[in-house]
Amino acid sequence: MKMRRGGLRRLAASGIGFFLAAAWSPGAEPTPLPFTAGVMFDHMSRTVVWEGETETSRVAVNCVSLRAGFDLGRGVTLGLSAGLALSDFDALAFLDLPISLELGSSVLKGVALAAEIEAVLLDLGDFEIGAAGRVVSSFGLARTWTLEDFAVPGRAEGRTNWMEASAAPRLAYHLSGGFVPYLEVAARWFRVDVRMKETLEDLQDAEKKRIKGDFSLSASLGGDIRLSDRLVVRAKAGIVPHAGGAGVSASLGLLFAF
Amino acid sequence: MKFLRKVLPTVLPAVLVLLFLSRCAPEGQDLQRPDGRQATRSLRVEGPLPARQPLAASDRVLLRFRSDVPEEYADGLLQSYGFAAVRKIPRLGVFSVRTSPGVGVDETLAMLRRNPDIAEARPDYRTRLAATPNDSYFSQYQYNLRNRGTILDISDDIQPQTTADADIKAATAWDITQGDPEVIIAVIDSGVDMTHPDLAAKVVSSGRDFANGDDDATDDHWHGTHTAGIAAADTNNGEGIAGVAWNCKILPVKVTEADGTGYYSWTIDAIIWATDQGADVINLSVGGDADDPVLEEACKYAFDHDVVIAAATGNEAGAVAYPAAYDDYVLAVAATDYNDEVADFSNYGPEVDVAAPGVYILGPAPQWYVGEGNLPYLFASGTSEATPHVAGMAALIRSLKPGLGASEIMKIIRYTADDVNQSTFSGRDDHIGFGRINMRRALAPYILK
Repeated sequence: MKMRRGGLRRLAASGIGFFLAAAWSPGAEPTPLPFTAGVMFDHMSRTVVWEGETETSRVAVNCVSLRAGFDLGRGVTLGLSAGLALSDFDALAFLDLPISLELGSSVLKGVALAAEIEAVLLDLGDFEIGAAGRVVSSFGLARTWTLEDFAVPGRAEGRTNWMEASAAPRLAYHLSGGFVPYLEVAARWFRVDVRMKETLEDLQDAEKKRIKGDFSLSASLGGDIRLSDRLVVRAKAGIVPHAGGAGVSASLGLLFAF
Repeated sequence: MKFLRKVLPTVLPAVLVLLFLSRCAPEGQDLQRPDGRQATRSLRVEGPLPARQPLAASDRVLLRFRSDVPEEYADGLLQSYGFAAVRKIPRLGVFSVRTSPGVGVDETLAMLRRNPDIAEARPDYRTRLAATPNDSYFSQYQYNLRNRGTILDISDDIQPQTTADADIKAATAWDITQGDPEVIIAVIDSGVDMTHPDLAAKVVSSGRDFANGDDDATDDHWHGTHTAGIAAADTNNGEGIAGVAWNCKILPVKVTEADGTGYYSWTIDAIIWATDQGADVINLSVGGDADDPVLEEACKYAFDHDVVIAAATGNEAGAVAYPAAYDDYVLAVAATDYNDEVADFSNYGPEVDVAAPGVYILGPAPQWYVGEGNLPYLFASGTSEATPHVAGMAALIRSLKPGLGASEIMKIIRYTADDVNQSTFSGRDDHIGFGRINMRRALAPYILK
């Protein structure tokens, strides 16, 4: 389920296309949308160091969710979303179990819930200074594997819970009525635990890998593109630099205004 | 301890402890070529292989163009980047390039990935040979550790055809661990030749001699030297054989006289002593026919101290000997051969836990035993030879996962075994228990897909 680089590139190209299309189309000043609802796709990858280890590893998450946005007035909007998260832990190994286990190409599913708030703090004509905060959490669904080729029946059960919180100042530019691109630099805090339980007949044990709190900064470009009075494309792409390898974040959504 | 020392000599009959020699002695062969050559001595010996290297090359990347990019255009583009060298793998349409001078891999990859004509660009990861020891006789004679299905050329008369992979998968397991020098295997046997070139650096002390009541467990037979070497011979030292547990140490404990016989009381004492000395694993290629509660109590003492005991089932094609038969505390080890078939001499019964190769096993022997002019190694067969494979494996598991107790290590060894006789006895059976041990399955991570 890991997103291929070609897919990311197509995603970025699509985003740019939307930006340009919107930028070139004349439009009126954006009017507040009291309520929006739609579907979002989010991808996030970051380089991490698991507790007790020294080498870097990667975590990648793809999430499909339903999103509802509420205009609270005074430039403040609240977004709530719920969906399915697929977490890829890049060959994370559980070496303290009696039989060491390694997550190969397996992904772990979870129910993702997110809350996001955006606010315009300062209007400077064509420019706008704002802030955005987001908390997303995935509550893991158990996944089981049958352990084959052993002399006794065996199974493994994995589950992950993770949470990411981010806060960002945002600089937006009124490029046109239908498109206000923005640049944001976010502080991101991430915690995750992955539990793995192993059972080989009467040989049982469990191990938990975790990151108590990984802090990083990201830089992103994004914007809401109004394709019509009721149709909004929401796109954002950024990088999450880290010693040992940069991660990326990207989101793309289609929202309907009511 | 005092109680045992006082009571044992009076309560227990002086039960003769039989070393499992019935199969070993007749088949022991001096390692000398029929023509008298010692060709293996003259073979080139490479230095130790590096254990770990950086994951990816620091000056190479792999890339592939999109399928619709013309070849000429691709070549021109690669030239424009100024790479130090370009090599194409035509069948896959992949280019291997050396990065431009002064430009790192990360920078090169980032640059390539920005190019929409390039479908993928990735690091050129390093490879290395599997951890293969450079010991002289490993490749040619130690089928027990890695069997390539060749002819085992022991002598003019003994040249069995072996079956590929009828081995304990040691070579691939050594990529995971080669053992911790802090992990000690007590070899309770006829003693150990502590001057042997494949053992001198491996013994932690001169041990204890319960037959003569002193602190010098020098081997006056050959059996203990042989079993100690199978378990943990000095490995990757450019000579001799490879042991199962490369880096683990040996604690010699002598419980037989020069004729290879001893008493339960010596073995009981030895188990307790080795446990108190901090042994992690005990190899018992000795045993007897009598069930004795004190011997069982000694095994329990070791087990309760998280010491893994591997013991030979015996070579009479009869009932499992003691202490191997103490199922709760001891791993009873049967013998298989170079074709993964049960050795015809191997004892059997419900107590058998696992099997390991025990036919024509090459191991060290005292120089005085093989005679001047011969190399200090010999082939021997028996469950005595099978047992130290299991002891070595237990030591490697303890090295890799020091938090595991004896019970867990014993279960890992059982449950990861290969059921090599499943065509006749599917599942656990009385001949090889759960099967022939498989070190790779026990030590390498299982990939969840």
